[in-house]
Amino acid sequence: MQTKLRLRPPPVSAAPGGDERRRVERRRRWLWRIAGYVFFISLWQFTSSFLVADFIVPPPAVILAEMWDIIASGQVWVHFGATLRTIAIGFAVAFALGSATGLLMGRSRWWEAFLSDWVMATLTTPGLIFALVTAMIFGLGPTGPIVAVIVTSFSYIAVNVVEGVKAVPRDLTDMARSFGRSQPQILRHVYLPFLAPYFFTATRYGFSIAWKIATLAEVIVGTAGIGFMMRQKFQEFSMQGFLAWVLLFFAFALFLERVVLQRQMKHVLRWRPEVAR
Amino acid sequence: MATIKVQDLRKEFVTDTSTVVAIENVSFEVGGHEFVSVVGPSGCGKSTLLNILSGIESATRGTVDITEGDRKAKLGYVFQSARLLPWRSVIDNLLFVQSSRGPQVRARCERYLDMVQLSHTAKQYPGQLSGGMQQRVGIARAFSIEPDLLLMDEPFSHLDAITARSLRRELHVMWQETGKTVLFVTHDVSEAVELSTRIIMLAKGGRLVADLPVELPFPRDPASDAVALARADLLRRFESLDLLAT
Ligand SMILES: Nc1ncnc2c1ncn2[C@@H]1O[C@H](COP(=O)(O)OP(=O)(O)O)[C@@H](O)[C@H]1O
Ligand SMILES: [Mg+2]
Repeated sequence: MQTKLRLRPPPVSAAPGGDERRRVERRRRWLWRIAGYVFFISLWQFTSSFLVADFIVPPPAVILAEMWDIIASGQVWVHFGATLRTIAIGFAVAFALGSATGLLMGRSRWWEAFLSDWVMATLTTPGLIFALVTAMIFGLGPTGPIVAVIVTSFSYIAVNVVEGVKAVPRDLTDMARSFGRSQPQILRHVYLPFLAPYFFTATRYGFSIAWKIATLAEVIVGTAGIGFMMRQKFQEFSMQGFLAWVLLFFAFALFLERVVLQRQMKHVLRWRPEVAR
Repeated sequence: MATIKVQDLRKEFVTDTSTVVAIENVSFEVGGHEFVSVVGPSGCGKSTLLNILSGIESATRGTVDITEGDRKAKLGYVFQSARLLPWRSVIDNLLFVQSSRGPQVRARCERYLDMVQLSHTAKQYPGQLSGGMQQRVGIARAFSIEPDLLLMDEPFSHLDAITARSLRRELHVMWQETGKTVLFVTHDVSEAVELSTRIIMLAKGGRLVADLPVELPFPRDPASDAVALARADLLRRFESLDLLAT
């Protein structure tokens, strides 16, 4: 006697596939994000209409108009340009210094002992102190803010890189050595790709610190820049001008984080299964 | 075909709390087209021995010479886990360990990938492959540098029995076709009997307790009486060591 194995055909209405599910999920997340904006802007509108005077909390439409003025008049380019320049120079130097320090401390116990307390000290010191100290040293102008950015964001980068270097898998470096790879090759092809996520975290934190400290320093000593404009509006007691600059700043930081940084990260980390899919 | 000369080798690991002797006074020689298995229980210093031979660890005492004719031999190492770089595609993992570049080198890598039947995965990342496939990539990587000596550290112990068995067959064929010297570490006595021309027994504390030729014709059926007898003999030897020790 023969028994036959029968395979049933798959059901016609298949459950939604992975792509479909992800699309639904993404749409839902966007809905919630938009709901968040609607809620907080309504709350703002409500506060300004019914609770406090307009000159303390101006309504959103007024701020929007003010922001438009800033953009249309071209002021936005001048001052964003100045602040961006400070951050770009400061952050680039901080990144190079922080990475080098991090590599050194992660790979050598001696250098770690030599440097760690100093890095920790700069990490825990409030940014305001560096903004004031550099203001006293360098006076009015762009140098103070640049130095303040270097000192504050440097330690964030160093600390993250140290952690990454210590987590580099021995398995992989041993493998590379057993196949006769040189130190520079191991650094480039094992260390750097492994450290990429740590560099991103470092960049993210370092950058947000850099923004804050750059504007803060500009408030104190700037002769141009977003912080400088905030000081002006503060001195004119123009709440609407002040908030317009703050919101432009916020929009720009969000753009950098969401669009520039996260895209880069997805590209560099595409080998990770959870990123690739 | 390489020659290995190990003399009076000793390795201590000094930690904060204790000193562990991983290898104690080990000497042996291997030469030519041999497939030598190093067999012993977990923790008896097998991996340490291979790490010293490959230069990853340094010996506390003793000498190691691995030569090919009158030059230093080229080594290929297959690890217990595949140890692939997860950020490089399969073919790029093979290219990473090559000492030169060029179309012939690439063709050679592709040939060895084909030998482990993984040509179709060349452009994939290791994370997209199963454990068995990753291990085969590791084997192809070691062969792809055309080494004089192959070091293998329990390469099949993490795999399911079915995959392990077919990889053992593949390895045997590759060993016969390429004529390499192989030093193969395992805690699995049957595996050693099935594959080797010679078996070195290590006991706890890293002592070499026996060095035996395996004179059975290939191919060896793991289910045959001859293989079963050899296996039983080896296990008995290990048991008597334990009795002596306690
Ligand atoms: N890096 C290390 N530091 C301290 N002890 C180690 C180290 N590597 C191995 N050992 C010790 O040496 C002994 C032999 O280890 P190993 O060579 O890995 O054994 P096997 O591979 O035979 O299982 C073990 O007792 C292990 O704990
Ligand atoms: Mg081991």
